[in-house]
Amino acid sequence: MTSVAVTGMGMVSPVGTVVDEVFTSVCAGRSGLSRPPPAHPLHGVIEVAAFSPAIDPASVLPATEARTVDRSIVMALRAARDALADAGVEVGRDVDAHRVAVVVSGVGGLATLADQAARHSARGRLGVSPYLLSGVLPNMAAARIAIEFGIRGYVSSVGTACASGAQSIGEAMRILRAGEADMVVCGSSEAPLFPTFADAFGNARAIARDWPDPTTASRPFDRRRNGLVLGEGAGVFVVERPEFARARGATRYAEVLGWAATNDAYHPVTPRPDGSSAAQSMRLALRDAGLSTSDIGYLNAHGTSTKAGDAAEVVAIRSVYGSGSPPVSSTKGVTGHLLGASGMIEAAISIMVLRKGLLPPTHNLDDPDPACDLDHVRTVRTAGVRAVMSNSFGFGGHNVSLVLGS
Amino acid sequence: MTDEIRQFLFESLTEMQYSTDDIVDDTTLGPAGVDLESLGLAELAMRVEDRFGVRFSQDESEKFAAMTVSEFCDAVAERARASSAT
Repeated sequence: MTSVAVTGMGMVSPVGTVVDEVFTSVCAGRSGLSRPPPAHPLHGVIEVAAFSPAIDPASVLPATEARTVDRSIVMALRAARDALADAGVEVGRDVDAHRVAVVVSGVGGLATLADQAARHSARGRLGVSPYLLSGVLPNMAAARIAIEFGIRGYVSSVGTACASGAQSIGEAMRILRAGEADMVVCGSSEAPLFPTFADAFGNARAIARDWPDPTTASRPFDRRRNGLVLGEGAGVFVVERPEFARARGATRYAEVLGWAATNDAYHPVTPRPDGSSAAQSMRLALRDAGLSTSDIGYLNAHGTSTKAGDAAEVVAIRSVYGSGSPPVSSTKGVTGHLLGASGMIEAAISIMVLRKGLLPPTHNLDDPDPACDLDHVRTVRTAGVRAVMSNSFGFGGHNVSLVLGS
Repeated sequence: MTDEIRQFLFESLTEMQYSTDDIVDDTTLGPAGVDLESLGLAELAMRVEDRFGVRFSQDESEKFAAMTVSEFCDAVAERARASSAT
């Protein structure tokens, strides 16, 4: 099937706000994990989180609207602005506004909703801002990107939890292949670092804990892993039909060669232990790309550092690749888990693998779990790689695999 | 009464992140002046309803956009008088 070109990347992450910085951080093991500072609402709630740089909402929105806009939307706008600038695109000048789509996703502005619920409890009706809905609905990151940049084509978001970033790239590919747009702004933005959400993860026993050094708390595939580290951030790509990108003289970072999505149909939050649906996602993505397992030179795993999730992914990878597993790493040891935005950051890292010929390691993988036997990248490797796979899985049993190539 | 409404209007606009530096009595509340948009007008209506115990229909609150500061203060004062008389 036809590939699509990635021509711009913008991101806000705990380990950098430009792709080179992010890639350097994951290769060097420069951790984005820390204890919540005393002034943060998560101080005393959870032990460690992955914080992205503060962004003044008024820097991306009029001050009058910035009061009740969730941080996820603020980060999405910043990442979209940077991605479009990176791609050298001005909508309306370089591309017909009706031929541009937006698919930017995430769980929505739950922190702001929780804050407004508290204000309602305290003050009643007058505590609630009329701007609440325009600041928290899950489609508002995409919609506000459309408003800000004058994008008038298909605009939507997908709700597949932690798979939503990768799936947004996939949906962008679907739109471009169907000829419904020449360019898609796609991505995910997540701001889950508030007490209710953190306690929900904690009470579900999904959060890493009891690590004296917070930078060691996220340890995908390690024998002592005991949960994920919640993080916040955003990643937005500009992807285009290859002919369109060529015609306007755009610089291409890489191409998305194929993708697939499946569902476990098993449990709302527990992955199917035999990994069969995740494996099918990987197989279908390879088929979509017209590649075989031996073509994949690196796999960026979902690998969140949970007991069950990592083990199920390993079973899935092994069932697809057999004994010929490509080198695998999870970069969440450094970045933490940015929910849907992880898929974007990890796709960006995978693209840098193609461009730099370096494989980033799994940070904190000191003692690989025997149940997670793979060709783990534990220190930076040099490798000429022409195609890579990136996996993203989400609550609800969503599995998404992307295949990217140079 | 009108002075009290005027002061409340300026306090509200400041809390709503609108600059009040250049606002005078004949500045309009809508696009040509303060630049209150639809949700801003809704919030202003919510605030004056609460503060002065009055009610404005949606049609009425949308017409705030075309009013000057002094017209708006007079309208609220008039409504407050009417409310207290009933």
